[in-house]
Amino acid sequence: MTEPSGTNIEGEAPRTEPVVETDEATVTDGAELERTIGLSGGLAIGIGTMIGAGIFVFPGLAAGRAGLAAAGSFAIGAVVALLVALPASELATAMPKSGGGYYFISRGIGALAGTVVGLSLWFGLVFATAFYLVGFGYYAVDALAELGIAVGGDLVIPLALLFGAGFTVLNVTGTENAAKLQNGIVALLLSILLVFLGFGILDAVGIVGEPSPPERFFPPAVVDASYIPVLTTAALVFTSYLGFAQVATVAGEMKRPGRNLPLAMVGSVLVVGVLYVATIFVATSAFGSARLAELGETAMVEVGRHFLGSAGAFVIILGGLLATMSSANASILSTSRAIYAVSKDALIPGRASRVNLKYGTPHVALGLAGGPILVLTATGRVELLAEIASFLHLVMYGLLCVALIVLRRDEPEWYDPSFRTPGYPTVPVLGAVTSFGLIAFMQPASQVLGVVIMIAAAGWYFYYARDVTLKGAL
Amino acid sequence: MTRVLVPVAILERGAVSSGLASLLSTTDVTVLGYHVLPEQTPPDQARAQYEERAVSALEDIVEEFAAAGGDAEFRLVFTHDREKTIDRVADETGSTAYVITGTTGDVDRLLVPLAGDVAVDRILGFVTELVGDREIDVTLLLAVDDEAADEGRALLENAAERLTERGIGTATTLSSDRPFDALADALPSHDAVVVGEAAPSLTSLLLGDVEERVADATVGPVLVVRAVDSPSPSR
Repeated sequence: MTEPSGTNIEGEAPRTEPVVETDEATVTDGAELERTIGLSGGLAIGIGTMIGAGIFVFPGLAAGRAGLAAAGSFAIGAVVALLVALPASELATAMPKSGGGYYFISRGIGALAGTVVGLSLWFGLVFATAFYLVGFGYYAVDALAELGIAVGGDLVIPLALLFGAGFTVLNVTGTENAAKLQNGIVALLLSILLVFLGFGILDAVGIVGEPSPPERFFPPAVVDASYIPVLTTAALVFTSYLGFAQVATVAGEMKRPGRNLPLAMVGSVLVVGVLYVATIFVATSAFGSARLAELGETAMVEVGRHFLGSAGAFVIILGGLLATMSSANASILSTSRAIYAVSKDALIPGRASRVNLKYGTPHVALGLAGGPILVLTATGRVELLAEIASFLHLVMYGLLCVALIVLRRDEPEWYDPSFRTPGYPTVPVLGAVTSFGLIAFMQPASQVLGVVIMIAAAGWYFYYARDVTLKGAL
Repeated sequence: MTRVLVPVAILERGAVSSGLASLLSTTDVTVLGYHVLPEQTPPDQARAQYEERAVSALEDIVEEFAAAGGDAEFRLVFTHDREKTIDRVADETGSTAYVITGTTGDVDRLLVPLAGDVAVDRILGFVTELVGDREIDVTLLLAVDDEAADEGRALLENAAERLTERGIGTATTLSSDRPFDALADALPSHDAVVVGEAAPSLTSLLLGDVEERVADATVGPVLVVRAVDSPSPSR
């Protein structure tokens, strides 16, 4: 096994040491690190991160772009996510460490790719969290309106900022374990959605409610260039699938990682994929895509009202608030782990991984997450935030598939995954091609900003840590 | 030899009283230094910062056990889940009992509450090993309804006989109060408590584990004899 070597510009070297991984703990020379997250916890992280965006924010936006075929866009996203989740699962069982995608790529491909991905993951999560918070802001305003306090759309951003700052402070000072709460919220969300879908499907097939006029599968205006809007919409809504790899950022804390990591990652993609497609189908059949598009970010509230009156609207608002909050909170936690992983490898200053003495929380990393999140939230650009988040994640997903192929072609001695990707090499090759391919269908502004962030990350590597070698070092 | 696990919140001034160290001098001891982290903090990240301090504190505690004539080793664990860590390390070290540390001087009197649903054999075996040939008196306590008093008295006498055979000064108390009240009444006149780990029940779900409630009611150490086969609720 190669050791990581070299130092960064401040003379810090990557901190690594031999460890023994068991199902229940990581055993180092002097201490043990307990694995405490079970399968349900892993699924809650995956589903809890994803479900906020896809169901509660995107339906209106997606319907405006792709019409009834928006369901197809979500299906494409699910297929891409699944093609990546399988290789990611294999890598995670071979390297059950905190840091997830960053760790696999830095060890499989090298420090340059690792730095680009590690910093992109940080920013990708920051963009995603800002997007969730803006979504939360829309739901908060709707909730106030439902309570008879009409505040108008001007309060969306201030409310999002308020809660974003609140989350950051809570994460620094809060020592209560919220994991059980997160599991409960996810279970509640899934039940809300299943009831909603039950009514919706009965309505869509005409058993209850008034018959709705059939709609053409592609919106009339774009029927000639039919597949393009479906793909650009898929690129936009892919943000709804950014949660499964976040499971890998806590890989070092998962019990029985060989079993639980693949189940949690693949399982959460399958669960949300099916829910998304069904929800979009129900929403577009209830209202038609044009009306849905007019309703914007909180279109689902009106869909809920359509099926179940004000109780339905209330339940969807509650779901939207909980879902966007749980997405934001789970992402902030992943961000601090992503920052820790790059800082441990000396790619950014070691100070970033300091732990606060009073609360025992990583306050520097949380600040490095929360600060930029607030700045981005202030822009309020839902679609741009979502696409850049997707862009940065898709780069990681593509490289993750590449890392799997590199590792498989010349398996190092330590490479011993307990889960092996079925359909190798087709699945990782398709995963890489579709991940990079989806980027091509984004808005030019997102593409440019995404590339700028990656170039900046590469520049940082050459300035700060060019002597650090990580390839092949477990 | 019997092994006892002594979990200590190592970075929160967790300490072992001199009385406990000498009480455990007849058994092997594993000191489990743990540090519970909020979920925002990866255990590895905390280790990087705290390991040195924790190890030095643990070495001090192990020395105290050695000074009291015992044989102790230590493990250090960073965790999000204290119960899971205690269970795992107790399993791995084959510990018969674990301790909820409290403060006490020299232990002269042990309180051993018995109940129908915990393994009396295991508890008595442990008490015998623990006391050895030292001058430590034991009070066996049983709380039963009046109808079951005869049965209870037989159980108590039988148990007391087993301890007396081994040269341990044994008293018995049969109470008709509710078990927990009977225990609370007896606590002040004893230095430490040995209880059996009870199977999870509705009461333990509502009020917390019996052993935790005992620990809350006394300042002295509570030695919890682990159930062998019954799964504990935290697993």
